[in-house]
Amino acid sequence: MFNLMDGAIFFTSYGSYGLSNLNISSFDVLIAYIVTIIVSMIVAFILRIPLLPSKPYRYSFDVSVIYPTPIIAIGILSIFLVLNYTFMYNGLILAVIIGVLSALFVKYLFDFVFPKPLSEDNGEDINE
Amino acid sequence: MNEVLGIIIAAILCWLNFVIIDTYFGLPEQPGVRGARIIGQDVEKRGGDIAGGFFQGNILCSPDASAGTLLASIGFMLLGIPGGILAAFFVFIGNRLCADPGYAGTVGSLTITFIIFLTSFIGLTPEMYIVGMIIAILTIQGISQVKASIVLGKIAKKFNRHARE
Repeated sequence: MFNLMDGAIFFTSYGSYGLSNLNISSFDVLIAYIVTIIVSMIVAFILRIPLLPSKPYRYSFDVSVIYPTPIIAIGILSIFLVLNYTFMYNGLILAVIIGVLSALFVKYLFDFVFPKPLSEDNGEDINE
Repeated sequence: MNEVLGIIIAAILCWLNFVIIDTYFGLPEQPGVRGARIIGQDVEKRGGDIAGGFFQGNILCSPDASAGTLLASIGFMLLGIPGGILAAFFVFIGNRLCADPGYAGTVGSLTITFIIFLTSFIGLTPEMYIVGMIIAILTIQGISQVKASIVLGKIAKKFNRHARE
């Protein structure tokens, strides 16, 4: 199975791009992604971020454990991977650090970096 | 795989991916951003469907699953699977900057990354998905906006996401 994964990661990016020069195996990449998702969700849960988004699922400015915490974690980890910086233990340390930091970011800095927009009634509407 | 055949298959997969995800996350139901409402009302004035109009306005004005599908295909072509995930992260930031409250863009990028990964075993390349996505967008926005909005309105009714219910 993991031979197939090797094929997908390395062949579909055509050798000369991106991950062709990555010095850890694609199995390690998979493990790093899983570790960073799990660590970010556990830390977010400990920090008492709500587990599920508020219903109905239309308003993603409310942060929760399953969205956007893991999305931010795997996004940041992807940046490090494509820059070929994996630090120690095949990227595991990096995955844990990014997981913890992204959960802290969602808890304390998210509303400061991405402020909530004005509600429908407060803003200007050129149609009225 | 033959290039033309691959592009046709990729276009169908892209169309299904972004229409199903956008409809499920409620794009036809309400305009997420201001411009979408104006486009929706304009399409309705020209004889189209208001839900389809909201759908077209939403995918025009902010990064939803359509933009996510295109960006994830480009990211996958350049950087492999991490590129697709990176595209999802950037679409998420783009959603915040546009004050778009939806989930569709991020989810669409992640699903199309998974679909490209699976279909790469039968010979579909990310380039085919880029061309296919442009064809898929053309059928929604380019050929006939009014007729496309009626089709999208019917799909929205099937998913119970129509604006007028």
